Amino acid sequence: MIHTGCTVTQFRQEATQTIGNASLQKALRGATAHFVDGRQAAFDAFPDGEAIRDHLKEIRGATISNLAFYLEQFEQNAQAAGTIVHWARNAEEAAAIVTSIARENGVMLAAKSKSMATEEIKLNHALEAADVRVVETDLGEWIIQLAGESPYHIIGPAIHKTKEQIVDLFEEYRGRPLADTSIAALTAEARHILRQQFLEAGIGISGGNMGVAETGSLVLVTNEGNGRMVTTLPRIHVAVMGIEKIAPDWDAAAAWLSLLARSATGQPMSIYTTVVTGPRRPEDADGPEEVHIVLLDNGRASLADTSSRKADYAEILQCIRCGACLNVCPVYGESGGHAYNSPYSGPIGAVISPLLFGLEKYAALPHASTLCGACVDVCPARIDLPRMLLALRADEVEQGIPSPFEQFAERAGTAVMGNAHLFNLAGKMAGWGQKMFTKNGTFTPPINPTLDRNLPIRPQKSFRDLWNDLDTD
Amino acid sequence: MEARKDILGRLQQQAAPLPMPSAWVSGRQFEDLAAEFERALTAVDGEVIRVNSFDDGMTALGDLLAELGVEKGVVNGERPLLTANFSHQFPQIEWHIVGLSDGNLRDGNLRDFCAVADVGISGAAAALAETGSVLIESGAGKSRMATLLPPIHIVLLPAARITADLFTWAAAQNAPPPTNMTFVSGPSKTADIEQTLAIGVHGPKRFIVIVYDQ
Ligand code: SF4
Repeated sequence: MIHTGCTVTQFRQEATQTIGNASLQKALRGATAHFVDGRQAAFDAFPDGEAIRDHLKEIRGATISNLAFYLEQFEQNAQAAGTIVHWARNAEEAAAIVTSIARENGVMLAAKSKSMATEEIKLNHALEAADVRVVETDLGEWIIQLAGESPYHIIGPAIHKTKEQIVDLFEEYRGRPLADTSIAALTAEARHILRQQFLEAGIGISGGNMGVAETGSLVLVTNEGNGRMVTTLPRIHVAVMGIEKIAPDWDAAAAWLSLLARSATGQPMSIYTTVVTGPRRPEDADGPEEVHIVLLDNGRASLADTSSRKADYAEILQCIRCGACLNVCPVYGESGGHAYNSPYSGPIGAVISPLLFGLEKYAALPHASTLCGACVDVCPARIDLPRMLLALRADEVEQGIPSPFEQFAERAGTAVMGNAHLFNLAGKMAGWGQKMFTKNGTFTPPINPTLDRNLPIRPQKSFRDLWNDLDTD
Repeated sequence: MEARKDILGRLQQQAAPLPMPSAWVSGRQFEDLAAEFERALTAVDGEVIRVNSFDDGMTALGDLLAELGVEKGVVNGERPLLTANFSHQFPQIEWHIVGLSDGNLRDGNLRDFCAVADVGISGAAAALAETGSVLIESGAGKSRMATLLPPIHIVLLPAARITADLFTWAAAQNAPPPTNMTFVSGPSKTADIEQTLAIGVHGPKRFIVIVYDQ
């Protein structure tokens, strides 16, 4: 699935469908509550959690403010360990680098471990166009691949799928019914099928949770072991990582890792934290012969550049992609991940999609928020997402992005609300107007601009009338 | 090269860097590191067996192998596992000792053997009490496949290598890392289908750590 952008109409249509779909609502509620409870329990059992969040925030801020230095240090140390480092300005360049590595080595099959950066650069499409078959190996990601969809959640790509839907997908893939459709049996089936793919794949592709500048190491976190598989079995390993995912040293990496899983799933630590420092050495028993890291800019550097007007948004580069902000967001919780029409959904998606892929294209997303601030409360790097959502809204007005109708409505609103007489009059007129379309106590206007919501009925007497009626002696 | 120059060039427009905070000093103090490790790993579905010595560990391992009905096993060729003669101690099992058996079982065969082995046995470079994590490293005689492909991974861990948490571990690092380090914190897991926990997706389904005091 290719993400093209998200206009207000698109967001509303997708969200309206999700809101009207009972099983989707149940799945969303179940998944987000599961993550929220898990996170809470993990922090309750982690006495220094809040202080380490402060520490991480400082580290991330300092790193982003000096990113060129740390990136060069990372590159130098990674190269010293034998890793081949590539730089990509945009999605096309990054996809072309990975595709040419696969092609030059005659690779037919690529095994991929879950990665948001490769979603962002639409790598699967590029590889398939070059006749390289791609298999997603994270169970959730594989389910999504079978369904031909995009991830629903940064951490749980398939949280919106019911077991029955997954059984159907598996049966279609295998071309025969499954004898046992328990979740344990489905997992075993996936293990069996994907194991073969790992063993056959000529290239293993991953993202990167972080790069440690001090040692030139790439850190990969998974629960299933797919991250270990793709860095162990195929002859070549390629990682695609955003340039902001740099930890200066192991102290920073420790702070990052102690918060990542706790914030994401509520685990004290993910099952596997893999640290890759170069290809196999002569004494090593096994491991890939080639390790490549593609450092992906795709709009990030201009956010960190303090001479650019986008510098207000440098803070978003502190994100460690834990997904915690999605789970607490009331808008994500109702609208679901696909409404954002971007690889990144929820509050982080609402900020980063317009910044990386264009405000014009993603004009709806800065508004996909109630500004309640629940995201800031859980963000391990304490990123002020609502501040940036507001700034993006202001940018939209400045850039003339709202439609002429919206601009007119806003100006009219300002005029009416700035004048007590006009305001009073407008209220009365609205009351008369509404009466014409009210039947049996429900207001059904010929055109409902909110599409999916019931509009309230104006009370008989306004607050102003009641106030005037008061005996003020 | 152009891309590199452009990206770094854009970043070089940045104003003065913010100060980097000094390293976090772990506040975790556990009276009994091994007990805390056991608690944490058991909480995430790992299994811990505590014994007095390496020899007792080998005895416990023998009982375990019999109980599990192991027919084929791969052992990382590292100390002190190298000193234990597996073929002699457990003759009913077909063994592959990484680095040693390679005379007759070459690299490609190591992969084939790991793919069918019932168990992989390794040592550990370190362990974290707080999270029940075991650090396994690559290197001479140390296969990543051995600890990844078989359905069961058994670790022999000296209790002295357990440290409080990631921060105490990080503070002690001064040598360049090996090519591959993996912190393992339990058996392979997923909750990708309806948030229901399922064990053993790609990695081992059972993760058993035998902790021995020296
Ligand atoms: S913005 Fe914060 S909470 Fe949201 S994904 Fe990024 S780090 Fe996690």
